Amino acid sequence: MNRPDAPALPRARLLAELRGALRISRFEIRIAAALVVAATLPLVGALLLADRVAAENLALGLDPRVVQRLQSVPTLYGELFQARKQLYAAQARELARGLPANGSEADAYLSAAVKRTPRLRRVTWLSPEGKVLAQTEATHPNPEGEWREAPARVELPDGGRLECVFAIEAQYFADLAEARDLAETVQGLDALRSEIRRSYVRAFGALLVVWAAAAAILGIWLARRTTRRVSRLVAAVQRLAAGDLTVQVDPGSFADEVAGLTRAFNEMVREVREGRDRIVYLEKISGWQEVARRLAHEIKNPLTPMKLAFQQLKARWDQLPGGEPNFGSLLAEVGEIMRDEIGTLQRLVDEFSGFAKLPDVRPEPADLCDFVEEFVRQNPQLRADADVLVVRAAGSFPVELDRTLMRRVLANLCSNAVEASRPARPRLHLSVSRTRDRGVVSVADEGPGVDPSLRDRIFDPYFTTKVGTGTGLGLAIVKKIVLQHGGEIAVSDRPGGGANFTLAFPLRAPTGSAPAAQEV
Amino acid sequence: MIAARATLLARAGVLWLLLAGQAARASPGVSEPAGTIQLAAVRGRAVATLDLSSLFGPNRQQEFGNGLTNVIEIYTAVLPEEATAPVTIHGRLLEILFDVWEETYTVTIKDPEHPAGSRVVLPSFSSLRSFLSDQRGVDLGPVEALPDAFTVEVRVEVNPISKEQLQRTREYIAAGAGVRSNGSRSVLGAVASFLLREPAAGTDVHVLRSGPFTRGGVPAR
Repeated sequence: MNRPDAPALPRARLLAELRGALRISRFEIRIAAALVVAATLPLVGALLLADRVAAENLALGLDPRVVQRLQSVPTLYGELFQARKQLYAAQARELARGLPANGSEADAYLSAAVKRTPRLRRVTWLSPEGKVLAQTEATHPNPEGEWREAPARVELPDGGRLECVFAIEAQYFADLAEARDLAETVQGLDALRSEIRRSYVRAFGALLVVWAAAAAILGIWLARRTTRRVSRLVAAVQRLAAGDLTVQVDPGSFADEVAGLTRAFNEMVREVREGRDRIVYLEKISGWQEVARRLAHEIKNPLTPMKLAFQQLKARWDQLPGGEPNFGSLLAEVGEIMRDEIGTLQRLVDEFSGFAKLPDVRPEPADLCDFVEEFVRQNPQLRADADVLVVRAAGSFPVELDRTLMRRVLANLCSNAVEASRPARPRLHLSVSRTRDRGVVSVADEGPGVDPSLRDRIFDPYFTTKVGTGTGLGLAIVKKIVLQHGGEIAVSDRPGGGANFTLAFPLRAPTGSAPAAQEV
Repeated sequence: MIAARATLLARAGVLWLLLAGQAARASPGVSEPAGTIQLAAVRGRAVATLDLSSLFGPNRQQEFGNGLTNVIEIYTAVLPEEATAPVTIHGRLLEILFDVWEETYTVTIKDPEHPAGSRVVLPSFSSLRSFLSDQRGVDLGPVEALPDAFTVEVRVEVNPISKEQLQRTREYIAAGAGVRSNGSRSVLGAVASFLLREPAAGTDVHVLRSGPFTRGGVPAR
């Protein structure tokens, strides 16, 4: 069974987008290259420096005299221990020399010896047979804290012996172990000095490379935020050069020169497009006006002879005595039809003539809001036919208007709005607001709105949705007048239903605005 | 530590060729008289006895009696005639520590027969010399596995930079060379420790080589 290709399309689009995102322009490559060079160039010097720093630090930390002194620490402890042992042996011999001949005095002698001899903890006098003749042990704590036993033995002339136990500080052994550990570490460092120096240089180099790579990546990322926008702008300019006047570039949320350039580009393209549309439309209208003028002329010419000819026929018939009564009634009926149709043609001719002879715009300074309010105020019929709501922003809206022609514009739009809203009571929304450089008038109704498919055509001459009643010239005239004012006209849906015609005119000078509303 | 040593010994075969080459460059190879390396068959196994007295003379007393740990590595290899790759290697590690209080030499022996280490306490330097000079019980495997003709080569390294010492140095510089007392690690030191390579063999390396042996000529004991 064939699976639908639908999932393949998003994947292909995703791949295309990914390729686009990964594609690097020459501009980006140059920026990235500059950043990488700037980030990596100092590395060589830094590595040379690192080598020197590592060598000098090792020389400082591993001074041969320090290494030798550290290595000799255990030997020094050994000498200390030797000195202690000799001291204890001398003290033991001294004790042995003073041993009393009378054994009954031995305990007192030994007790006194323990009390007066520093670090002496225990003394035992043994006979040649190994029998304990006297023994004394210190009961007070050793003033040097934790201690280890240091024995000292003296052989006596009679074959007996004196066994002394002295105290030696346990801290010495802990210090010795720590010193040995440190000395062995330093010994290893000294033996590995060259390798350590090289490893530090390698580590420094590796970290610098990582740092430079991170800096380059960050720089490229930051640069791409600008270069991408420039690339998009270049692509847009190329599309514009190819004739695409719909091209626009998103300036993003930046507030830098590139964003300003992008906005200026968008504005320029928009103005070019509007200028082109205006010219095209005015040329088209001009052509249609010529057609209307000829048509009006061609239609208007035979109308009067037709009218006179029939009047002569009717007068002659009225003068004939005893005519056919049926023919008389037929003539009257035909005459009425002819008068109606000729009247219709006359009105058509008048409209064509009016369209063909649209006067040139003579703009004069005016306030757009004041003008709209004045228009509403001076049209009681409009207010009678519909509820009119005028909403205006605060401030002034200085524009250049041809009041006469603009009244015609508003009248036409309001008339259309009223007709579109019927049979219900029409409700018109007129609003005046502004953009940065435009004064905007909106005429909206609550009717059925304009079919989106017809919006591109409703401003064309002779296009109408009013079957049998419209000539299709009203909105064409409106648009021409608006364009001649340098303005624009657009149609959209009104929120809540209905059509909304928006007319924008260039402001003469910018002023502040704040929303306000009033009903007329 | 023991595991590290066992690993070192296990890798001895792989290292042998490299070490031998480095030793040849570091110090001139020394061929000893055959009598310094004796071989005997004990219960079907070839057991070497090494006389290393020429390496451990009286001048070593200050070195071995300095109160620091001294390390001696002894690698004994059976090399077939006209071949460079050994068929058997025996590694033995001796750690010597002079106890400055007791004034004795404690030797810790680690080899395949004593993977956990065996300790011997010797009362004097002369007894230490005797112990070091007379290395016995070097098991070179079954006699049947020996080549028809071979030599025995002994490589002795005194205080080499061991794996353990290298690892200790790595840890030391990884911790910021002891500068950081709060236990944190230095990034530069950590990378440097990672990139610290094994050094070349030291200078106190000696190679002894026996005369030719034949498998059938190994005397029984």
